[in-house]
Amino acid sequence: MSNALSTQDLVPGDHGTDEPPRASSWLKYTAMKAGGALISLIMVVLLGFFAFRILPGDPVRSLADGRRVSVEQMDILREQLGLNDPLLAQFWRYLTELFQGQLGYSYTYNEPVVNLIATRIGPTVLLTGTAAIISVVLGLWLGQRAAWRRGSLFDKTQTGLALVFWSVPTFWLGLLLLLLFGGGLQWFPTGGLVTAGTTETGLPLIWDVIRHMTLPVITMVAVVYAQYLMVMRASLLEEMTSDYLMTARAKGLREDEVRTKHAVPNALLPTVTLIFLTLGGLVGGAVTVETVFSWPGLGYLTFQALSAPDFPLLQGTFVVFSSIVILMNFFADLLYRVLDPRLRAA
Amino acid sequence: MLRLEFRDVRITYTTQTASGRGEIAAVDGVSLVVEPGSTVGLAGESGCGKSTLAVSVLRLLPANAKVEGKILLGDENVSELSWGRLRSVRWTEASIVFQGAMHSLNPVRKVRDQIAEALIIHAKGVDAQYKQESARTARVNELLEQVGLPKAKGLSYPHELSGGQKQRIMIAMALACDPDLIIADEPTTALDVVVQAQVLDLLTALVRDRGLSLIMISHDLSVLAATCERIVVMQEGRIVEQGPSLKIMRNPQHPHTQALASAFPVIGDLSSRLKLPTYTAPNAPHAEPGAASVPHESRPALAARDLSVTFSARGSGAVRAVDSVNLTCNTGEIVALVGQSGSGKTTLARTLLGLQKPTSGEVLFEGTPLSHKRKALKVYRRAVQFVLQDPTAALNPKHSVYEAVAEGPRLHKLDGDERDIVAAALAKAELNPPEKFFTAIPQELSGGQRQRVVIAGALALEPEFLVADEPVASLDASVRAGVLALLLKLKCELGLGALVITHDLGLAWNIADRVVVMYQGRIVEEGPVEEVLLNPQHEYTRRLLSVVPTRESPVATAGAPLREQALENDAQDGVR
Repeated sequence: MSNALSTQDLVPGDHGTDEPPRASSWLKYTAMKAGGALISLIMVVLLGFFAFRILPGDPVRSLADGRRVSVEQMDILREQLGLNDPLLAQFWRYLTELFQGQLGYSYTYNEPVVNLIATRIGPTVLLTGTAAIISVVLGLWLGQRAAWRRGSLFDKTQTGLALVFWSVPTFWLGLLLLLLFGGGLQWFPTGGLVTAGTTETGLPLIWDVIRHMTLPVITMVAVVYAQYLMVMRASLLEEMTSDYLMTARAKGLREDEVRTKHAVPNALLPTVTLIFLTLGGLVGGAVTVETVFSWPGLGYLTFQALSAPDFPLLQGTFVVFSSIVILMNFFADLLYRVLDPRLRAA
Repeated sequence: MLRLEFRDVRITYTTQTASGRGEIAAVDGVSLVVEPGSTVGLAGESGCGKSTLAVSVLRLLPANAKVEGKILLGDENVSELSWGRLRSVRWTEASIVFQGAMHSLNPVRKVRDQIAEALIIHAKGVDAQYKQESARTARVNELLEQVGLPKAKGLSYPHELSGGQKQRIMIAMALACDPDLIIADEPTTALDVVVQAQVLDLLTALVRDRGLSLIMISHDLSVLAATCERIVVMQEGRIVEQGPSLKIMRNPQHPHTQALASAFPVIGDLSSRLKLPTYTAPNAPHAEPGAASVPHESRPALAARDLSVTFSARGSGAVRAVDSVNLTCNTGEIVALVGQSGSGKTTLARTLLGLQKPTSGEVLFEGTPLSHKRKALKVYRRAVQFVLQDPTAALNPKHSVYEAVAEGPRLHKLDGDERDIVAAALAKAELNPPEKFFTAIPQELSGGQRQRVVIAGALALEPEFLVADEPVASLDASVRAGVLALLLKLKCELGLGALVITHDLGLAWNIADRVVVMYQGRIVEEGPVEEVLLNPQHEYTRRLLSVVPTRESPVATAGAPLREQALENDAQDGVR
């Protein structure tokens, strides 16, 4: 009788093969997300040009600040910088340069913006990368432990402490650390990437950089790890009542195996999105920390460009910062799909 | 083999209530023996302590539970086992098939790895071979075959499987370490009748072939009778009746058992036709003589003309969810639309309600085609109201009963005092006295009361017609009868017509005048209930009827040879 009633075509996913259909949609998904990221990038490029033209302030006047410059000289300077051209012409120049891999010429440094960014991006990646890794690992680890022992002394002190650090302003904490450990106790250098005029190479150089990094990294970690802790804690708490954990326990898994093998992988799903979203933001947050510790990175460069104002330089750092955020979101989308098989079907 | 004994077991939960610390006894002095190789069914409504009792066997209770008395697994007291010993007892001596396979599998791991995990943990002694991956692979394949799944299905993630397939995976997992005892906690509750019958057959065959002991938990006596020799009925933590399955089914003694038994009527039994414990229709075969039957005018209310709905599915072209359906529902008549999950019945209902645009064909209300313009839809939606499956999800948890019921009248700017309208609607839904319920929030109400609030919300608009999608599927046996009685009473006394969507043929027998059978988007059979259910013409109707309790075989099973059917039928599993 079942022959008369075979319903092969009623159930989605049951077409002939028993192997679940996968992998083929990978390429499509990636292409789709990459397309989305590209559109965002184009928007950033457009915005990057026009937003800074609206900013108040005359770059030429600030360049001439404090010097005896005649009106004629300032006009010549404007002409040289191309500031007298119509806006659209300036935009066209910006675009063509961009396609040649150029981001313009900095007024204040008298150097191509690309070169400036290239030399500064390394220290920023070093600083924020280290801070990000430490705060993600620390936050997630503390978060899952706090959730698993909800209401315990560990949970209460850790969440309390994290929230205190979270609410502290970055620059204030940075200055405090600088005063205490840099100035007062003199355990750590007060600024820069390496000791000025150093000729060290190899291991001693690395050690020197580590000493210079310590305070800024601590400042960044202290301010951001709380959000990882809180999100991990919240999402693990949500998973803790799930039925599949009961299944795992019934199977005879140890409690810490139940946590690490079943609960945490599921709790990580919402956390991953947040991590990548904030990683982009972390780079932006470098502006404060790098300024406080005179760290020769993109953030410090942005600060200097802002105080000029140095349009091409600002434009450049803006495009770089935004691209990092967009890239991180793109990675988050890809990673999320790896972590959550349910998304692969969609 | 293993003997399980509960000796005067009392399990209490410590809870924090508004009035301070309270203790709730979930299980209150239960003594029960499960002999090796025997099968026992635990019956009762939600909250009667049956699940608590089941998980106590493996000491899986939450931390706020306290166990008194003895739970003996073999000659060991479960409460006194060391953690190490307990972990090795878990799954090797007794395993559990949990309720709702949907949530009992880890969503981010392949199902075959989840089965193999149990093997890895217990790869000691005689099972040491499972430390090798090749031995595990072979064993998992063997298990998948035993539960009637192709081995490629093991590579799926839980969301890629249908409800019945997931439950098969859970059973395969439970069998992994060759336990002596399997505890099945409502293993078929979320499945529709045909899939339920398959899963029950599978369990029965496995228990029979391997001589396992089985404890099966359900609120449905016919499900228990299908798999168990003995049924134990629990109420409020105590055992109220026990005995051989058929005796309990046919001749229940305790009032609670009787209530459970009557909640799932036997098709063909005239004493349950148009009759429920609290209400009997005037035209029922067993109505009191002299009960005045108020004839209500019967005119076409809702109709579908050649209605089709096509969804474009990814990769596989279009799926015809509803295929050239013609259907007329009259006022003063209850029509039951039956069919399995995936038969298109919910899509049909959504289209009738104007929530889904038909691909072709039209919906007529009182003879006029339904327009999809906003204004016309608003008028239409007042006349045709909708009752959803799960009242807990349908009600806004933050809105009081008054707010929930008053929202419709407010939106449609009904004349008259709002308070009076709400009170009248609640009274019609038998929530008396209505004022008492005004300020209550859904959380404070029972499941049955919540569904009555949903119905009151519909009645407040004085509709001509009700469409109810599985109105009692999420309710307990005792309240289920009450809600069905309400629908029947509304029809008989107010002449309100209803289209009730259900997978439960017993419900149709209970309250419907006509039954419409839907299969693969088409209506394959329709007619008066007695005709269709007692003398089915279409193959599919017969098949649906073959898996529900009837006068001839009051147990819920297909009784057909399992192995041949299992694979083919699996394509039919719908996810719910």
